[in-house]
Amino acid sequence: MDIRDELMEHVPRLRRYARALINNRDLADDLVQDTLERALGRTALFQAGTDLRAWLFTIMHNVFANQARKASVRAVHVSVDDDSIAESEFAVASDQTRSLEMRDLDYALQRLPTEQREVVLLVGLEEMSYADVALALDIPIGTVMSRLSRGRERLRALMAGTQPSAKLQVVR
Amino acid sequence: MNEQLTPISEEELHAYVDGTLSDERRAQVERALEQNPELAARVSDYFSLNNLFHNRYDRVLSEPVPKRLQPPAPKRRWLDAANWPQFAGMAAALVLGVGIGVGTQMGKDVPGTTASPLGMGSDHSDTRPVSADASDGLARQAAIAHVVYMPAVQVPDSVGTDQDRDFVQWLSNKLGTDVHAPLLNKSGFELSGGRILPGADGPVAQFMYRGPGDERVTLCISHRKVNSNTTAFKLYQDGPVNVFYWVDGDYGYAVSGGIDRKVLLQLSHDVYAQLTAAKGG
Repeated sequence: MDIRDELMEHVPRLRRYARALINNRDLADDLVQDTLERALGRTALFQAGTDLRAWLFTIMHNVFANQARKASVRAVHVSVDDDSIAESEFAVASDQTRSLEMRDLDYALQRLPTEQREVVLLVGLEEMSYADVALALDIPIGTVMSRLSRGRERLRALMAGTQPSAKLQVVR
Repeated sequence: MNEQLTPISEEELHAYVDGTLSDERRAQVERALEQNPELAARVSDYFSLNNLFHNRYDRVLSEPVPKRLQPPAPKRRWLDAANWPQFAGMAAALVLGVGIGVGTQMGKDVPGTTASPLGMGSDHSDTRPVSADASDGLARQAAIAHVVYMPAVQVPDSVGTDQDRDFVQWLSNKLGTDVHAPLLNKSGFELSGGRILPGADGPVAQFMYRGPGDERVTLCISHRKVNSNTTAFKLYQDGPVNVFYWVDGDYGYAVSGGIDRKVLLQLSHDVYAQLTAAKGG
């Protein structure tokens, strides 16, 4: 298969990750677009047989980090209330009680330091192995572990704080 | 049995959540969690976080891809790719169709026969990942039940064969029929629990299985009021959860899991074979 075709297969997942990373639909899609453009311009650099997905996430991470640097740390903060997203899009079918919890999740995620948010989402949402995350973010695996640990613990505290009545579901 | 455990590190706790521990170490962590409710609560929250991520963001996967994110120059036939996820789903279904002979015609055309979902060699290509008949209800319910109940699976320490039997007997009474939980140990999945859920069509028995990497799979069996012909395996997808479901006479079956479709399909084959064998004998 043509690498461009393959690239497009990953678009839905890139969008999902970007949406979780930046809680704003347009900005998230901007990030995906920049990532795709950069990837398409560098397909020659991609080594056949290696993991395309990991490569794309690496590029997305770099684009995201560059934007963050350019725009200064403060400017990456985007509004949590995104009017461009209809409420119905995020409404969870047959479980109305969820929506509050879900909004808290957006809120809490945006309050994580970027580097922790990336790791927590790559592991928890993208289900990447620690080794792949280390590769994609170009950091040692030990750093992945410590960011994951701090990020999850922080997220847990944030979630518990925003809605003390609804404790997270108890599982084993 | 009271061997001194090496203390569990922070890293290992997360590795446990992410399913990357060795079997041996995982068992040790589980034992430690049983003795430390505070630690167990933390781990449980970590699991919940991962579930929350999927509940919240997986819907993006099925959104139509905006034009600006589609390839600039149509190098190949891109006309079908306007909605990539659907297209991808269709492609996957076609592959499945070839593999196991899923055909929506199969059930309809051969009424009353013992048409097996495993039947090979079907030429029908009009397969769809989701069809609109009544058995969809079960698939959907099974997917929801999977997501809702799976994280809460409790594996009592003392579950032995006797208790298993009692539990299955209890389920059978509730369901008003002989239920027998298929064994999937061969594929590395162990029965880890079960419950009765209220369903539109009467009670639904839900069996929960746990895989070698802590993957969760559920089997739902519903006793249907309406007897239908045997149908082929169908695939229903709800976010990250894949469901293979089929109807066999009075019963509807649904195997759900957020795991690779091929693995899930193999498990479904196992379940089907065992249930059919049980009825025959």
